[in-house]
Amino acid sequence: MTTAPQKISLAQWDDRYEQLCRNGMREPAYGGPLRRHVVRDLDFRLEQLQFDNSAAALRLWNFLLTENARLHQARANGDQLVGTMKDLGTVPVMAYALPGLRAFYPDGAWWTPCLMENSDQLLQQADAMGIDASFCPVRAMLPAFENGEHFPKPDLLICSTGAVCDDFSAIAQRLEHLGHPIHWWEMPRRRTPTASEKACTLAGQLVAPRMQVDCVQDELQLIAQALGELAGKTLDDAALSAGIRAANQVRRLLGSLRQLVYSAPAAPLPALEMLVAEMLAIHFCSDREETIAVLTSLLTEARARVRLNESVLAADAVRIFWVNPVADLRAMNLLEELGGRICGTDYMFTHALDLISEELPPLEALARTALADPMVGPTADRALRIARECQAGGAEAVVVSRIPGASHCAREGEIIREIVRQQIGVPVIELEIPPVCDALLPALGSRLQALIETVRARRPR
Amino acid sequence: MIYAGIDAGSRAIKAVLFDPDGQRLLAAGLTDQGVEQERLATDLFEKLCQDAGLARSQIAGVIATGYGRNALRFADTTITEITCHARGVHQLLPATRTIIEIGGQDSKVISLEDGGRVRDFAMNDRCAAGTGRFLEMIATRLDMNWETLSALASQSTHPAIISNMCVVFAETEIIGLLASGQPLPDVVAGVQNAIATRVAAMAGRHVSPPVSFTGGVALQPGMARALEQVLNCPVSVVPQPQFTGALGAAVLASERRKGKV
Repeated sequence: MTTAPQKISLAQWDDRYEQLCRNGMREPAYGGPLRRHVVRDLDFRLEQLQFDNSAAALRLWNFLLTENARLHQARANGDQLVGTMKDLGTVPVMAYALPGLRAFYPDGAWWTPCLMENSDQLLQQADAMGIDASFCPVRAMLPAFENGEHFPKPDLLICSTGAVCDDFSAIAQRLEHLGHPIHWWEMPRRRTPTASEKACTLAGQLVAPRMQVDCVQDELQLIAQALGELAGKTLDDAALSAGIRAANQVRRLLGSLRQLVYSAPAAPLPALEMLVAEMLAIHFCSDREETIAVLTSLLTEARARVRLNESVLAADAVRIFWVNPVADLRAMNLLEELGGRICGTDYMFTHALDLISEELPPLEALARTALADPMVGPTADRALRIARECQAGGAEAVVVSRIPGASHCAREGEIIREIVRQQIGVPVIELEIPPVCDALLPALGSRLQALIETVRARRPR
Repeated sequence: MIYAGIDAGSRAIKAVLFDPDGQRLLAAGLTDQGVEQERLATDLFEKLCQDAGLARSQIAGVIATGYGRNALRFADTTITEITCHARGVHQLLPATRTIIEIGGQDSKVISLEDGGRVRDFAMNDRCAAGTGRFLEMIATRLDMNWETLSALASQSTHPAIISNMCVVFAETEIIGLLASGQPLPDVVAGVQNAIATRVAAMAGRHVSPPVSFTGGVALQPGMARALEQVLNCPVSVVPQPQFTGALGAAVLASERRKGKV
């Protein structure tokens, strides 16, 4: 499409949609105007957001916002649904390797209170279930499981435990006690091998003892059996290898998109759409093939904009590396409104962005990927990767956003700040962003504005 | 030319007039914050000009800062408190490497580089325990004014230990301490120590001296000493600490006009 890139409101998208249709835009089955998600699904937050005006962005949003409907449709078509919780990217690769299985991410309900501006009452209902505001907003999935108004109940639920988020373990335990059986699998805390231990290299310049890789591999073998029983077909190495190659296709596309958008002199796509695009890595938004199409479309749009030197932001926007996903999507708009842009991210699932080895036996390759999860190892490992990527991406500052109640690491902000300062010396700030941050917008805005002022003052004149 | 800085804070609006040629503060004033922020700020600004014998047209630039800065439409532009406090402190105590600012509803730790440039900063989030609100709470509870509270703290011999980091729960703890007969000066000094501890935690492990203390809470005798104890280094109170943000805004207004920033 030829219209210049810009960020537009939902109301402006009404006109833009008509224009795109008149120009012959072809949409997938889940396509349609963005407005319908407010009217039909009560996703009121969309009225407060600014969106990219491309057909590719429209497709991305429609893909995201129709996930529950697509899951219900898949169930009606005979697909088996696998709820894959907590591991953020490994078990879905296995599930999609079997025909007739569709993995999704019930934890994704944590964005529902934001999208519906708390009109869903999910957080209040979670309170009543004994999982109160001292827990991560992922607790929204508990009542979503119970009331069935969002995603369909999965045929199989798989959840990692051990060296994962304490909050999530507690929430998932509560879920099981409410009558939703879970296939648990153990994730050891990643550690550096001792001198006498055999070491295995992982993605992200990490290493782990061979015995930990073996342990995770054994757990994944049990998951493969459970998935095979559900599908009525053995998940053998050949199928798994094909699944890994398909997952890598998604990861390569995302890698190209991130590299292009984050390194371009002027950002060709906004931070918000990039956040949503990155999230597709976790479970392919319940449709692996369509994820490839959505990402291809975004990459094509970004390439065209870079070629034409077109951007949605000012060229001198301050380059920010953003750590952790935000509970309120509005925060990503806010950063750009105040003169920032994203030049790199760590949304807590970097292991789902790294390519999975296609040389190793497939289960071992997946075990090594799962062990590279930033949440299962020391925060210092994560901080070092952030520092490296900040340097590579020319970051001028780092924002560590916190999710109220989340306990991935109580001191992660401090550790990241210390290491990033030590390694590259750029300012680092921490922000807490609740599911609906309207009341805090002035305070959040002040902090981000102060960071942007600080960076601008540090730039060579 | 004369420049003005207005700091619309959570508890008070502060304004200064600054003469960059003489590097002098010509006038400074403050008024309590209220619902009609812009009117209050305008009145204060006009009174300041009048008292200094200046016409509005003689003010070459006005910068607003503070949480209410965007409400002051008469300002030429706005700059955040972080930048303004940094500039204000650098103007008065140029050797400063760390600024601790404690205001009515927030607190900040700002690291400076050579030349007063901000290196990094941290601010409190949604908790009031490291802010002047904590002191206000105890003043209200004891039915005392700010000055009496300060005088009391200086009489303390064994400051109480306030273990709660939440202002609401700490209030309950303070009531308990008073009921158990703990001397009032020790309770007040305990609150000052609790604020200092909270701010030190926010500062993290690396506080580079010299450390300067600013913001309205710096007017409380005893607070600087409490900070010195937890930070284990000398802490200097900036002259007229409640005006540092406004001064920084005025200095930045003059520098902008001269094209320095």
